Amino acid sequence: MPIYRQNVILEVARGIRAFLNFEAGLTRGEVSEDGRQTRKLEQARRWLKDRNRQITELEKKLNDDRSGAPAGDLKPENVVWMFGTARVGSTWLGSMMDGPSRHTMWHEPLVGALFGNFYYGRGAHRGGKHGILGGTDAKRSRAIRAFVLAAAHEKFPEITGDGYLIVKEPNGSNGAPLLAQALPESRMIFMVRDPRDVVSSNLSGKSEGGWTVKAYERGHRTGTPPPTDPEAIVKKGARKYLEFIGKSKEAYDAHQGPKVLVRYEELRADTLGTMKRIYSTLGMSADEVEVARAVEKHSWENIPEEEKGHGKFYRKATPGGWREDLTPDQVKMVEEITGPLLEEFYPDRTGV
Amino acid sequence: MSIYAGCVKAGSYLGRISVLPVLKNRVAFEVARGIKAFLNLEVGLTRGEAPGVGTGTSGTGATAARVRKIGHRLTSRGRALAGSVGATPASSAQSDPQPRDARDRCVRAENLVWIFGSGRSGSTWLRSMMSEMTHHRFWEEPMVGQLFGSFYKHAQEGQLNSANFIMGEPTRKGWTRSIRNFVLDGAMYANPRLGPEDYLVVKEPNGSTGAPLLMEALPESRMILLVRDPRDVAASVLDGARKGSWLYERKDKGRWKENALADTDPEAITRRRAHMYMSQVGRAKQAFEAHEGPKVLVRYEDLRADALGTIKRIYSELGIPAEEKDLAQVVEKHSWENIPEENKGEGKFYRKATPGGWQEDLTPKQAGIIEKITAPLLEEFYPA
Repeated sequence: MPIYRQNVILEVARGIRAFLNFEAGLTRGEVSEDGRQTRKLEQARRWLKDRNRQITELEKKLNDDRSGAPAGDLKPENVVWMFGTARVGSTWLGSMMDGPSRHTMWHEPLVGALFGNFYYGRGAHRGGKHGILGGTDAKRSRAIRAFVLAAAHEKFPEITGDGYLIVKEPNGSNGAPLLAQALPESRMIFMVRDPRDVVSSNLSGKSEGGWTVKAYERGHRTGTPPPTDPEAIVKKGARKYLEFIGKSKEAYDAHQGPKVLVRYEELRADTLGTMKRIYSTLGMSADEVEVARAVEKHSWENIPEEEKGHGKFYRKATPGGWREDLTPDQVKMVEEITGPLLEEFYPDRTGV
Repeated sequence: MSIYAGCVKAGSYLGRISVLPVLKNRVAFEVARGIKAFLNLEVGLTRGEAPGVGTGTSGTGATAARVRKIGHRLTSRGRALAGSVGATPASSAQSDPQPRDARDRCVRAENLVWIFGSGRSGSTWLRSMMSEMTHHRFWEEPMVGQLFGSFYKHAQEGQLNSANFIMGEPTRKGWTRSIRNFVLDGAMYANPRLGPEDYLVVKEPNGSTGAPLLMEALPESRMILLVRDPRDVAASVLDGARKGSWLYERKDKGRWKENALADTDPEAITRRRAHMYMSQVGRAKQAFEAHEGPKVLVRYEDLRADALGTIKRIYSELGIPAEEKDLAQVVEKHSWENIPEENKGEGKFYRKATPGGWQEDLTPKQAGIIEKITAPLLEEFYPA
């Protein structure tokens, strides 16, 4: 119950004011002690400061978490994708890259197929906000990023900060654009090979006694067996090439991180030189001696003769071999189906 | 970014407190029993606004109160953030002695209510009623079950046995956890306003192939297995897939137009639908039997015969509190009778809602196809 109040303010310098407050009155309760209030205020300020610090830390952690980077040692930029399609030499390249220290190979997780099959296939109509891969690109990418990195951490907890994870993913390349978008800082190898040689290799494996057919016979592969009609195999193989190399190219073109295009034919002609180019272009450190050793170890010449040949996984490794393997009609079919990609990567249409 | 909306920074507020008093004096003495006289004098310099009379001593108290208020808001915000990142700030450790999964506090796994079964079983109707309830939101066919379920179903045996395969058995524990986080993140992205007290009704009949994986990943979530006589389901699809009908016109990705099977080869579409029923309801049943969280089996026919009684049973068995008057209200609002007549009928999404209507709609051959393919489920849920 103040009965008298006076407040005087005067500017004593630019921006500085002097003030005098005078207050007198009567009260029925306690007259608060100014010192105690000030101490409380100071305590509250310290409390606020502490909360502020905690929140800043939590926000930072939340940002990290939402960007899909779980607490772990594998750096997203050290993930190296190997896209393309089957029968382009990815197993060979993967084996060589698995050699140098601090490189770990993830052999065909098919995480690209998991998301690619759905996003471009069955779930393509669920693009709205309710669809699990619908909504904005950012939303979808965050979810995929978190999933991929969590899976990688789960499987390879031993990878240290400067270690690389090479993900050999030719058969998951139909999801390459989704993976690359989710991990824009990751590295990418885009492997291509003349589609006629790819189809030719495919046909060999699926012909009678071929390694693919045997895999079904032995129960290593289940589900619908591959067609036996050569024309159907060729058509299916060419269509798969178009889809998988097409998606790889889409991802490669859009990718902002380190990337390198590798032709199988170049890898065959100059393996060590191409390997050096891969590491150099991707900005990856690799001991030259170790790389040379890996190249030597996995050379075609060092594969036992009994493991090579028609119908076997290691067939002939001869660029341009399609001329001996495919009929003119089959060649025409492959060229028609894969036309745009063939023209881009093999413009002379004669192979190497 | 919505998740930071409402975040209060103490610094901005503290920066405005710029009073620099050089002299403060206070005198108080009792002039009568319980009555005190006081005199406050405050002299000083300030770079900002000068405090007025009454904001000196009493203002300090007001400032402290405001600081405390901001502090409480910061604490709440801190708890929410801690929940999001799985951290527990010291201040909230006592109130939450058992930290749970990071995302559970934004989207609580136990508050997910899955509706599995098959399409054309009344899931839209049930979802519509449930999502009208207080603290209920819905997630309309995210198809997350199909994403994982279909991929897993089509995996080669060799792949499933491989530790390299993204869904290989040797790393099952890890990818199950990843699915859990993926679903909870997806739920939050699709429903950013979802609060920890909200229930999220996930209508997922067409993702039922993945029901076992989803329930394994989210064992504390709630589950509704919604079944309907497969012959009525097939009759409904056949009707919708005919030229000019709602499914034919709407499903541009479903090749309904391209194949036009309902008109040209109805037996083929009947067979296909029966197999789909087996796959979807079969997997949903498998998940239902294994699920240890709250769950309830609902027959469409029961829902039609006694919607209020059935929905009361659903809420009771799922352990979700609900007022009977609220349930009665949503049942009434979404009753068949309240759907405008022009929206109902042959070829429309709302067709006839008559259990047993297949006897008029299917040929004996079509009924025979379905009965043969779906026999195990038909016998279990609709014994003769």
